[in-house]
Amino acid sequence: MTMLKIENLHAEIDGKPILKGLTLEVNAGEVHAIMGPNGAGKSTLGYVLGGRPGYEVTEGSVTFDGVDLLELEPNERAAAGLFLGFQYPVEIPGVSNVQFLRESLNAQRGQRDEKPLSGGEFLKLARAQADGLGLNQDMLKRPVNVGFSGGEKKRNEMVQMGILNPKFAILDETDSGLDIDALRIVGDGINRIMRAPDKAVLLITHYQRLLDYVQPDRVHVLADGRIVRSGGPELALELEREGYAGVEEAAA
Amino acid sequence: MTTTLELPSTREEAWRWADIDALRRAAESERAVPVAGADRFLDLPGARLLFVDGVLDESASILGTVQLTQIDASDHPLGRQALGRGWSLRLDRDAVAEPVQIVHVASGAANHLPAEIVLAEDAAAQVYETYVGRGWTNRLTRVKLAASARLMRAVRLLQDDGFVSLREEAELGEGASLTATFLAAGTMGARIDGGITQIGDGAYAEFGGALLTKGELKQECAVALRHAALNGQSHQLWRAVAADRSQASLAARVEVARDAQKTDGEQSLRGLLLQRTATVNLKPELEIFADDVKCAHGATVGELDAKALFYMQSRGIPKPRAQALLTRAFVADAIDRIGNEVVREAFAADADAWLEAAL
Ligand SMILES: Nc1ncnc2c1ncn2[C@@H]1O[C@H](COP(=O)(O)OP(=O)(O)OP(=O)(O)O)[C@@H](O)[C@H]1O
Ligand SMILES: [Mg+2]
Repeated sequence: MTMLKIENLHAEIDGKPILKGLTLEVNAGEVHAIMGPNGAGKSTLGYVLGGRPGYEVTEGSVTFDGVDLLELEPNERAAAGLFLGFQYPVEIPGVSNVQFLRESLNAQRGQRDEKPLSGGEFLKLARAQADGLGLNQDMLKRPVNVGFSGGEKKRNEMVQMGILNPKFAILDETDSGLDIDALRIVGDGINRIMRAPDKAVLLITHYQRLLDYVQPDRVHVLADGRIVRSGGPELALELEREGYAGVEEAAA
Repeated sequence: MTTTLELPSTREEAWRWADIDALRRAAESERAVPVAGADRFLDLPGARLLFVDGVLDESASILGTVQLTQIDASDHPLGRQALGRGWSLRLDRDAVAEPVQIVHVASGAANHLPAEIVLAEDAAAQVYETYVGRGWTNRLTRVKLAASARLMRAVRLLQDDGFVSLREEAELGEGASLTATFLAAGTMGARIDGGITQIGDGAYAEFGGALLTKGELKQECAVALRHAALNGQSHQLWRAVAADRSQASLAARVEVARDAQKTDGEQSLRGLLLQRTATVNLKPELEIFADDVKCAHGATVGELDAKALFYMQSRGIPKPRAQALLTRAFVADAIDRIGNEVVREAFAADADAWLEAAL
């Protein structure tokens, strides 16, 4: 069953076209990897799907579970089950992780007409997820991402994903900044949280190493705002060996 | 009855941001039935005083060690209008009083009340005040702290309408400590006017708070903190949040006298604009005559961080709530300095309620 359907998507920032007719379909139960050169528009795709202000869609459509995603506010997209793992997670001084995540989860539950979790119930869930990703419990009490190392921020993204338990995750370079052990822990985390017949993942990455842990069903190359090539897991290995030179020529 | 009020002119530098018109309108407003006030007392032991239009409601008050007495006059333009009898907290050497809570209810027109807090050596007190109602409420509070005396003070302005003006005058002896936090989270105009002097060596003063303005309101603080002795420490941390077409102004001054060597004075003034139509004025001032001092100061005005807002929304938090959380975090710097947990939580709840209504 198609979960996410992107058709001929065009988007611009400050009048500058970045996505130039991107088409992509992801079925439930699948993991898709998106690779591509710097500046190709990978993060832009994530932000457009997340609904970030300033990213203007000029053409094309996106349906998520049959719903027009582009019509929804960012928080409504989250409540519908979309999760965006940020390439650069944002620091929020003065708001603790616990408060932030409890607000987030209960806001989503409220929008779905589910009962809010109590403080105790939430803490239990948060602790379990932090443990699962090897994030120190104390970090839950600290302000969101403030003073976290690059790797800790990425782990924190995964803790958030575990707590929010989305249907569809777009993970933007979640592997960058992770040490070798953390890479395995995060990879296991993604599998644990997101490998299910009714879920799907769009994994944006530059390297094969994360794909060793989280095996993709499909691999796409995004270059100059379009998907220029798609294939199976072997495509990632080929790119690792040969780079993007051949791909971009093929697209031109 | 209309009285001719003698009020300062906004042409004077120290009064340029004062909303004298709003004050005058409040003073000339009609009296109405007073709102309730007794429900504003927090769950703390100790004295409770309820003043309605500046008059003690004895049936609703527990005076404890507080007395009503003649208070020395001030020569301050607003302070001098609060003349005559007022409340007085005097503590002997080493005495430690339970918290004193004062609720001021105003029903319209003008009401004035002076007060004094005089602590002998090593005495310690906590005084918490709440202002509700409407009209012009004008207060003079004189604080005298002898050596090593400690006063914790927190004041919240929650009037629905009108104007509250506070004149705070304090003298700190050797090693004395004053921590005062003000929160303006109502819908009235306000001026918090302070003159604090450290006359003994090694004194410590914290004087700050948060002003939250919306609609067409104007609020301000105007504080001068004078170091006249050695090794003094002071922190003036003020936060202003301005919405709509309102104006919040923070003027804070540190004066270091020639003999006040080793003074450590910190000033942090920050403003947050919830809409671009709002105004925050900042005026940090340093006047230093000693040569061996450390005075850090920062003054910035900005808007909510758009990246943080989107990050929060992307996790499911609706935009108004995300704005409230970020604004609350901005104000927390000031409110978190309140040492008493019950009071701190009450003030935080007032700030939250204000934000929920404003966003
Ligand atoms: N706010 C902005 N204003 C103008 N151009 C922008 C803005 N944000 C991004 N861009 C441009 O959009 C293009 C795509 O950026 P994007 O971040 O999506 O690339 P990416 O594929 O994620 O790259 P990387 O692999 O380096 O993360 C780049 O050329 C970038 O400079
Ligand atoms: Mg990117």
